[in-house]
Amino acid sequence: MIGPMMDAWYPVALESRLGTNGRSTRLMDTPLHVARLNGGAIEIRTEDGRALPVRLRYGHVWTSLGAPTTDLFDIPEADQPGRRLVEVGVVRVRCSPLRAVENFLDIAHFPFVHTDILGAEPHTEVEKYEVEIREKEDEVWATQVKFYQPQAAKSASTGITTDYMYRVPAPTCSVLYKTCPARPGEWDVITLFVQPLAEDLCDVWPWMALFDDESPMTDLIHFQQMIFLQDRSILENQIPRLLPLDPGMEIPTRADLTSVAYRRWLKRHNYTYGAQLVAQ
Amino acid sequence: MKLYDYILSPSCYKIRLMASLLGVPLTLRPVDFHPGEEHLTPEFLALNPAGTLPILADGGLLLTETSAMLVHLATSAGPDWLARHDPQAAASEQQWLSFAHRLTASLGGARLCDMFQRPGDLASLQRQGIMALRELEVRLFEQRLRQQAFLASDRPTIADIACFPHVVLAPDGGISLDPYPSIRLWQRSIRGLPGFIEMPGIYRRHELSEEPDPDAANETAEQV
Amino acid sequence: MLSADLPPMTVVPALMPQGPFALWRSESGILSLQADRCPHRGMRLSHGFVRGEALSCIYHGWRYAQNGRCLKIPAHPRLEPPEAIRVETYAVTESGGLIWGCLETPAGAPPNFDGFAPLRMMSVKVSPQMIATSDEVDRRADGALAIELAGQHCLFLARAQPDGSTLLFCLIEEAAAPEARIAVSRALELFRCRLEADDLQKEAL
Repeated sequence: MIGPMMDAWYPVALESRLGTNGRSTRLMDTPLHVARLNGGAIEIRTEDGRALPVRLRYGHVWTSLGAPTTDLFDIPEADQPGRRLVEVGVVRVRCSPLRAVENFLDIAHFPFVHTDILGAEPHTEVEKYEVEIREKEDEVWATQVKFYQPQAAKSASTGITTDYMYRVPAPTCSVLYKTCPARPGEWDVITLFVQPLAEDLCDVWPWMALFDDESPMTDLIHFQQMIFLQDRSILENQIPRLLPLDPGMEIPTRADLTSVAYRRWLKRHNYTYGAQLVAQ
Repeated sequence: MKLYDYILSPSCYKIRLMASLLGVPLTLRPVDFHPGEEHLTPEFLALNPAGTLPILADGGLLLTETSAMLVHLATSAGPDWLARHDPQAAASEQQWLSFAHRLTASLGGARLCDMFQRPGDLASLQRQGIMALRELEVRLFEQRLRQQAFLASDRPTIADIACFPHVVLAPDGGISLDPYPSIRLWQRSIRGLPGFIEMPGIYRRHELSEEPDPDAANETAEQV
Repeated sequence: MLSADLPPMTVVPALMPQGPFALWRSESGILSLQADRCPHRGMRLSHGFVRGEALSCIYHGWRYAQNGRCLKIPAHPRLEPPEAIRVETYAVTESGGLIWGCLETPAGAPPNFDGFAPLRMMSVKVSPQMIATSDEVDRRADGALAIELAGQHCLFLARAQPDGSTLLFCLIEEAAAPEARIAVSRALELFRCRLEADDLQKEAL
């Protein structure tokens, strides 16, 4: 059962890569086709011919199977002059869309999964940070997250403590704000947009808005693809594939407060497509 | 030497790994293979009409086949990696060097299909991949009986490096590596070689570094 | 699993009829058989690593002792993990070159196949019944299947897998020379190939 997640917005294509053949894909078990019409306009239809709403934002084509009550969430930084917008492309993962988002919200895995890039032993400790569900925006936020990063930039030879902020504005999307080496005081924006194909299968579209005038675009794309592919080998080996919302199934610690809030927020809204409610 | 490289390509990783094991510095030129398909642009097709990566340029030499690149790297920087010492080993090395292309076609094909949704018959590629893994398992089992841990000899050769990446990444194409104990031991030996480097999906052996002392982090932080 | 396939400081998925379990050998050689799931975030522990006498999860580095107790949570290095955090741990023993696991209280020692030593483990995409009823094998009183491969007396132990396939262990006479072992290994490939082809044909009918 899809439930209220029916009415959320999801990415279904990269606008710049959508050719005249369009893209045949799926959204929560519903086959659909994203078409580029002759005039260049984009149209999305389900197999039985129903036209779906279309939004073009953050480099991607977005749609919804239901009747969205709000417009697509805002990322104000996306329009800030001077940022480079990085389209990372799609990667398919055999996991729940919710597991993909939860992994993105986690920093404690950096030393073991992104060794010598985002983290390294012995710097494994996660210090206390703040987590809240912002009622007005109806979003999950984690702030004052700090973690030791061994190689923050290509030029860096020693590690630094990097600051992070996490935001979950939609059930399968997350926005990460991270220390910007090129412009102290600003945040780099790294997002994870997840297209749920089925409860245990998703297409993941990372996207970034960075201050970086130095690196070639391909380097920026490759860096993020490398990070995400390291995560993929974890995501495909978690048991169960669905995200357990039953508190008895998995053991969180203080380092997992963002994930705890995310699970609570999902439960509160009945966003349970890709979740397992009762231990099996 | 300049390598036209894609970070997620097992074939490109072969060359990066070989160079690292030999201590040969490479100048990397990242190519936007996915999503940009830069390797199919006219500029690249002029360089390599086959439209494949990697491409290795060394002075006037331009190579587009990974086997040739491995031979070139080993000949110039590490002749020990070539099984030239006896005719049987030399022939085996060639055999498994060529066999690696079957791994690229089967396991690599399944991975492209499954992970990046490139066109292909996934079930058929997976079947071919399993046949290739079984063949490799038999060989490595026999090598163990001969007290040899590697494909052509008792020490690693370019043939091992040619086969290693696609094998370890087989799960990316939905193919399990669980039932191949000799393959497991072989890839563990390769991951333990001095100069070994990782790629996404191929981890280092964390057990080879010491368990840190909880207070070590503070000490290093103070030193910085 | 064959003893020879599991050196110290390694963890592998043990393919039991009930599914995969994490089987590992510590630096000092002690075997452990545990649930293949880290209780923290459900990651398969067989993807982890063995440092010293403990198994660590590859995801967040949670470290488990041979008795299953969580020893360390790297995100909180000074925290003594609560006793309640543990992975299920099962009986495991080594005998005659084979590793035997038991998910319940073992009723006795594992069987002994005097004069035979394990050669190889392989997966076969047919059921154990199909192997046991093959014309080439004879069931012995102790449950092992006797077969002649490349002129050598061999034994099969066939274990069902959750997907209906078989994990097959081939044992060979202890005295067999390396050349004979290679010949048997190749004959074993042929045996598997024929069985799987027969099975496909049956399915087609």
